Amino acid sequence: MTSADTSALLTVRNVSMHFGGLKALNDVSFDVIKGEVLSLIGPNGAGKTTMLKIASGAQAPTTGKIAYKGTQIIGLSADRINRLGIGRTFQAAEIFDTMTVRENVMTGAVAREAGSVASSLLYWGRAKQRVEKLRQIADEALDLVGLGDMADLPAQDLPTGQQRLLGFARIFATGAELLLLDEPGGGLNAVEKTRLIETIRRLRDLGRTVILVEHDMSVIAQVSDRIVVLDQGLKISEGTPEKVKSDPKVIEAYLGTSASTVAPKPQKDQPAFRPVEMEVVDLTVTYGQTVAVDNVSLKLRTGEILTILGANGAGKSSLLKAIAGLEKPAGGTIKLRDKHIAGIPPDKIAALGLCLTPEGRALFPSLSVADNLALGRYVSLKRKRGLLGILALRQEDRDEIDAKREEIYQLFPILKERANQKAGTLSGGQGQMLAIGRSLMNDPSILMLDEPSLGLAPQVIDEILHKLEHLREQGLTLILVEQNASAALRIADRGYVFSSGRISMQGPAQDLLEDPSIRDAYLGGDDANTQTLRVNATQ
Amino acid sequence: MTLHDFRYPAAILALIICYFFGDTYFISLLVIIALHSMAAIGLSLLSGYAGQISLGHAAFYGIGAYTSALIALHIGITPWITIPMSAVIAGIVAWAVGPIMFRLKGHHLAMATLAFGIIVHVALVEMRGITGGPNGMGGIPPLSFFGTPLLFDEDIFPLVWGVVIVMILLSENLIRSPHGFTLRAVGAREHVVPTLGSDTNKSKCLVLIISAVFAAIAGAIYGHYIGYLSPGPFSTTFSVKLLVMVAIGGFSRIWGVVLGVIFVTFLSEWLKPFGNVELLFYGALLIFTMIYCPNGLLSQLGVVASNAARNLRQRTPS
Repeated sequence: MTSADTSALLTVRNVSMHFGGLKALNDVSFDVIKGEVLSLIGPNGAGKTTMLKIASGAQAPTTGKIAYKGTQIIGLSADRINRLGIGRTFQAAEIFDTMTVRENVMTGAVAREAGSVASSLLYWGRAKQRVEKLRQIADEALDLVGLGDMADLPAQDLPTGQQRLLGFARIFATGAELLLLDEPGGGLNAVEKTRLIETIRRLRDLGRTVILVEHDMSVIAQVSDRIVVLDQGLKISEGTPEKVKSDPKVIEAYLGTSASTVAPKPQKDQPAFRPVEMEVVDLTVTYGQTVAVDNVSLKLRTGEILTILGANGAGKSSLLKAIAGLEKPAGGTIKLRDKHIAGIPPDKIAALGLCLTPEGRALFPSLSVADNLALGRYVSLKRKRGLLGILALRQEDRDEIDAKREEIYQLFPILKERANQKAGTLSGGQGQMLAIGRSLMNDPSILMLDEPSLGLAPQVIDEILHKLEHLREQGLTLILVEQNASAALRIADRGYVFSSGRISMQGPAQDLLEDPSIRDAYLGGDDANTQTLRVNATQ
Repeated sequence: MTLHDFRYPAAILALIICYFFGDTYFISLLVIIALHSMAAIGLSLLSGYAGQISLGHAAFYGIGAYTSALIALHIGITPWITIPMSAVIAGIVAWAVGPIMFRLKGHHLAMATLAFGIIVHVALVEMRGITGGPNGMGGIPPLSFFGTPLLFDEDIFPLVWGVVIVMILLSENLIRSPHGFTLRAVGAREHVVPTLGSDTNKSKCLVLIISAVFAAIAGAIYGHYIGYLSPGPFSTTFSVKLLVMVAIGGFSRIWGVVLGVIFVTFLSEWLKPFGNVELLFYGALLIFTMIYCPNGLLSQLGVVASNAARNLRQRTPS
């Protein structure tokens, strides 16, 4: 689409958003045509949500312009932008849980039907009429998304899928013409997704324009007129769903770079004969109504790198959190060597030598690199010496921390250079190294890494992956959760592929790497599969 | 809704019964309850419905009391006019400080409101030339009704409860009006409200002004009723006590807040022999309520009672 296209409802021009050194968006331009469903896709950290935030006024870009119907909207307040006609939903449904379903939607229409404060206090004729009008708008919007029957229920009683639809009804009631939907399909089951797709189509039929951010490619494929693909803040592709799906750049963005310098390694010995370090049986993790991990069983063998792959929302992080004790599993068992660990507190699990380096690193930004590392040791120190032992460090403990820290510095020499720098000033890659280093300070026997490559440049990812191989040679067992499948499979011994909370594929890393169907787990399965789901759902 | 409609006549009936059958001590307690209810209802709109904590609400109570008393004393206007004037002044103060305070959120907002309360209290103590400082000021003219001064508890009783009923009515109206939806939305999930086209700061300032006006009217009537003002009753202690009343009443329940005021007032009467230990008791009560009865101590008791009643009904064959 050229910028001369007069039917463009929203024009995004050269938008960049920099957070310190991180370029969340880098010179992105595209148009949204009136009446279309435009999907904004890309791997985790591509800048999709940042784009929505900028377009809805929640954030101002570093540079760039966005015009809605010819009006520049950068710098306007979020409520002004909404009144101009742009409505946004959130990744979580963000319903007002103190209100009924109908009241939630009525709130959406208040901005255009509020009236004076005096009439609100006295509740004379006009205010009554206004509330009646709000109620009408709300009921129409609820019928549109198919929640008409539930208008009087407390909104918090709705399951996740319906809360999302409620969010749609709410922004529909604001009268917005351009709807920005942020991952509406996350955590929904097949039937709910079908309703979601129908609702988005209905919104389009009513003349509303939609920008959809979504990870589920089957949803994207069924509703999108056009797709814009972002990767690490750059627009890498744009066009029809068919065109985008076969674009090699898009495939590379999702599955990782094939030009990686990490060569696949021949397996040194058969991992199948190694002893089982940890066994997970029938594990289920739920968040309220949403099932994140569904009856998953897997084995981890001593001294291997096990990688867990899958698209966003497939349940990978939830699995790690359940193993680390941060989420209480709804069912199933986790056996570490001969000890059952499901449901015991996270610090006890860490004491058994099972450490998680969480997604997003979770460093202490105002502490120095050296102190961040020392903190990794304090947990085990406190167990050994008690609180007093930490407040007044013994010389032997001090030496032990220094010695351990020196090991980490040998592994990641850059951290030694930055030892006295605040962790908040590190680059993404250095931050990731520090996060891994901090976990290693605790002397784990199993290290779990959640998306260590998130937001990092390919060379940095390679460097970190090399270090992980090095750690395996030293006898550490690793679980690596990754979106960057190619890179992860190159260093891993075995892999599991998750989709929708279940294991869809498993096997030696080498086999998975060569299997073309792994792409489907990321870029959506064949359409026949989703078609049958549709039929089932409408019956 | 039927229960809802019953509340007003039932409350008025109960008040009439109290008025004719209560002894002087009881009536004077009910007057204090009415005055505290006015301030607490306003605070419930602000801290309950809109979710904006205030640890300085006594300031507006004090501003109302002192401005009304001073105008009546020095200019000689009837309290019937100075009371609304003081309400307007408190409203203007709220309008001026609101946009500054609501730049802050959460703990920071709590600190700012606390500071505001302390500043006003210190001003009342230190502006000796105007307020009489810690010695206070006396000789405040009472309200009078067709020449009869309303000096006694029995005289002022119908007025203060009349005002409380009107404030409850106005508050309930506000809550179900379009503005009320925005208020409650701000209280539930503030960051969503701008995406629905409403300005959160405007909403918060509006409710701050309304609650300031309510508190100022209460304070002003208090001044003319007691006839003497000193800074003591307008300190942070009173702000905290108001918050305890609102919390016990269940934050966002207008009628519940009045019950909370009644509960705390009677409690503080019983605790009077213990002196300052009563503060300890409020603290403990507040912690207990926040942990075990987030919807209010009294409504939790109501839930327990209605569950018991349902069990009883299920057991008896219908």
